[in-house]
Amino acid sequence: MSWTHDIHPEPKSFLSKYIFSFDHKVIGKQFLWYGIAFLGIGGMMALLIRWTLAYPGVPFPVLGNLLFPNTNGVVPPDTYAMLFTLHGTIMIFYAITPILIGAFGNFCIPLMIGARDMAFPLLNLLSFHIAVLSGVILMASLFYPLGGAAGGWTSYPTLSTIIGSPGAGQTLWALAIFVLGVSSTMGAVNYITTVISFRAPGMGYFDMPLTVWGLWLTAILNAIFIPVLSAGVLLLIFDRVFGTHFFLAGAAATSGTGDPILFQHVFWIFGHPEVYILILPAWGMVSDFLSFFSRKPAFGYKATAMSMTAVTVLSTLVYGHHMFTTQMSPLLTQTFMTLTMTISIPSAIFFANWLGTIWKGSIRFTSPMLFSLGVVFVFGLGGLTGLYLGTVTTDLYLHDTYFVVGHFHYTMAASVLLGGFAATYFWFPKMFGRMMNEGLAKFHFWGTMLGLNGIFFGMLMVGYGGMHRRLYNPFVYEFMKDLVPLNTFITISALVMGVFQLIFVWNFIYSLLKGEKATQNPWEVGTLEWTLPSPPPHYNFAEIPTVKCGPHEYGNPALKTGRDFQYQTEELVVANSAN
Amino acid sequence: MSIPIVKIEHEKVEEVKFTSSLAMTVALVSWSMLFATLFLGYAVYRLSASVWPPMGFEQISLFNPILSTLVIGLSSWSMVRAQKSFFANNVKHFRMMLFVTIFLALSFMGMQFLLWNKLNVHGLYVQSGIFASILHGFTWIHAGHVVLGLLGLLYLLPLAFDSNCLIEKQVRVINISKFWHFLGIIWFLMFFILFLI
Repeated sequence: MSWTHDIHPEPKSFLSKYIFSFDHKVIGKQFLWYGIAFLGIGGMMALLIRWTLAYPGVPFPVLGNLLFPNTNGVVPPDTYAMLFTLHGTIMIFYAITPILIGAFGNFCIPLMIGARDMAFPLLNLLSFHIAVLSGVILMASLFYPLGGAAGGWTSYPTLSTIIGSPGAGQTLWALAIFVLGVSSTMGAVNYITTVISFRAPGMGYFDMPLTVWGLWLTAILNAIFIPVLSAGVLLLIFDRVFGTHFFLAGAAATSGTGDPILFQHVFWIFGHPEVYILILPAWGMVSDFLSFFSRKPAFGYKATAMSMTAVTVLSTLVYGHHMFTTQMSPLLTQTFMTLTMTISIPSAIFFANWLGTIWKGSIRFTSPMLFSLGVVFVFGLGGLTGLYLGTVTTDLYLHDTYFVVGHFHYTMAASVLLGGFAATYFWFPKMFGRMMNEGLAKFHFWGTMLGLNGIFFGMLMVGYGGMHRRLYNPFVYEFMKDLVPLNTFITISALVMGVFQLIFVWNFIYSLLKGEKATQNPWEVGTLEWTLPSPPPHYNFAEIPTVKCGPHEYGNPALKTGRDFQYQTEELVVANSAN
Repeated sequence: MSIPIVKIEHEKVEEVKFTSSLAMTVALVSWSMLFATLFLGYAVYRLSASVWPPMGFEQISLFNPILSTLVIGLSSWSMVRAQKSFFANNVKHFRMMLFVTIFLALSFMGMQFLLWNKLNVHGLYVQSGIFASILHGFTWIHAGHVVLGLLGLLYLLPLAFDSNCLIEKQVRVINISKFWHFLGIIWFLMFFILFLI
């Protein structure tokens, strides 16, 4: 499709080059900075939450007096509710989504499929700037009287109605999510179209790197389910601003009644696919990295791609398991439970494929590989703990406990965070033309794994012990007092993890300025982006490449090139042709 | 800042159309999901209510909704004619049909204002319970999209004075036309669900 390979002119001015750029690579980097900034804010909120749970009534060190002068540095209860609401919202919508999907989606898709840019560069530009607008609205909500949203990241009515959350904060939260939905949908339209229309000649769907598969499936889910949430928050805004009754229970016979539970349905019809929206890119990337650094073809490539597709489809049918305690009919709970368990099948297939890929590989323990192995470990744990929550009988006991918090942090936070770090270390040389320090990266990995497992496994334990989520001070209840030491341990783990993130920040900034210059292909990988200089030129490919083999051609004994891998632009070497 | 222009060769017409049409289809699927969610909500409210409309409210007169349906239906027809004229390079007829479509779109919006006014006159204020909330809220959301569609139609105006029917412009006409028809279909569903049954 050659017309697609014409390119917009190279920008010259500062504004057109760095602020209003149409270049997918620049927009990818913009999303990366945006996501990292929000990751810092959301992470800081997590530390405030953890401090409150470990040391109730004790002022937060250093920053406490500055942030909460009226309570002598102690996090007040209403602020605590805002903190966990905005921590969840920021981490999911403003940190993970922009980094995994916005940054790496934008940067990688055109480069990995052999295109010069996205299908619609203007739409891409708008998508980023609308995301910025949404971030500004969300942060502005903190400065209104009565503060930001405090109804939890799910913002269930009645907590999120004007009665449950007076003030502008919750309204601005809903508006910010709506605006971000517009941005995400724009991005999704662009990604889907680009992958279908702009693949280089010779690149079939099963020649695409699994990273592209993950990002593409994510975009499909985004295009379908983000509008569902948009409709929900739009009606919530109407309820709060204009006084409609969509989610307000009232007198049924006289004026008709709204339905607070309806919001939960709408939220989770979106919300469960959202889990996969976040995790599919990480799955795809990890599937690639395990092959790249085991120096072996991905085991069961097609099965992995099809399993990811099956998970995508099934993810749309299971949302009810988030609502087992809403007096659903037993027929429905059993149906949702069965469908939820069905997801284990494709998940187990690609999980087994990951193990098959590294089995007997010539493993190179680089930083992206370490983080990928970390994803394999934490995703295994997250997946297994999900079985208890997908089963009605156990979910009734575990619902709204910290077990749920531990579970979704293992799957959504740990897996995606580690996947995001793997991706950052892997593509940093291509993005910025410099290498990150491998020693520091590995140190960062071990510290992160230590802290992360301390936090999230600890959460599973206190949750199993009966600790309810969202309580400001659970230890006023006699039966939870024994959980204080374990909570202190979780908080210390969080502080350890936080400190190790400073190493990442240092490594990132130092490498950006003074890191060793990256060669064209420092990881010795065959996908198309590594056929280009680091960083790639404005137009990406001087000539559009023709793809001749798959993305995982490693360790082929017939290769006589002195390399143990093939570029996708090379004819696949088979034993006969080599002889 | 000027918007960069992608140079397109005429022999690539079908490829341009395919990519553009694909993107518009995905976008329309997204919009459909938004409205489908509203209809799902409506189904829940309606099926869980013992009486509909709730006690104390009357179903409103069908005159305005029927007229609105006819107007938006006519605007779809005029848009089809406009698109055909554009493809036939008949600028004069395209201009006329585009103006007709814009006029009908504005008329539809006018009728929406009359509808909201009529609802208020009948005591169906926004705050008057779920029945009124649905009538106001759903039509607001649809009207918001009609405004978007109207902006799209206005964006086509310069083409009404340009005799050169280039492929980029064809794609623009096709996509805005598709969006306009989509709004017509959504209104028809709303008319059927909210006012007829």
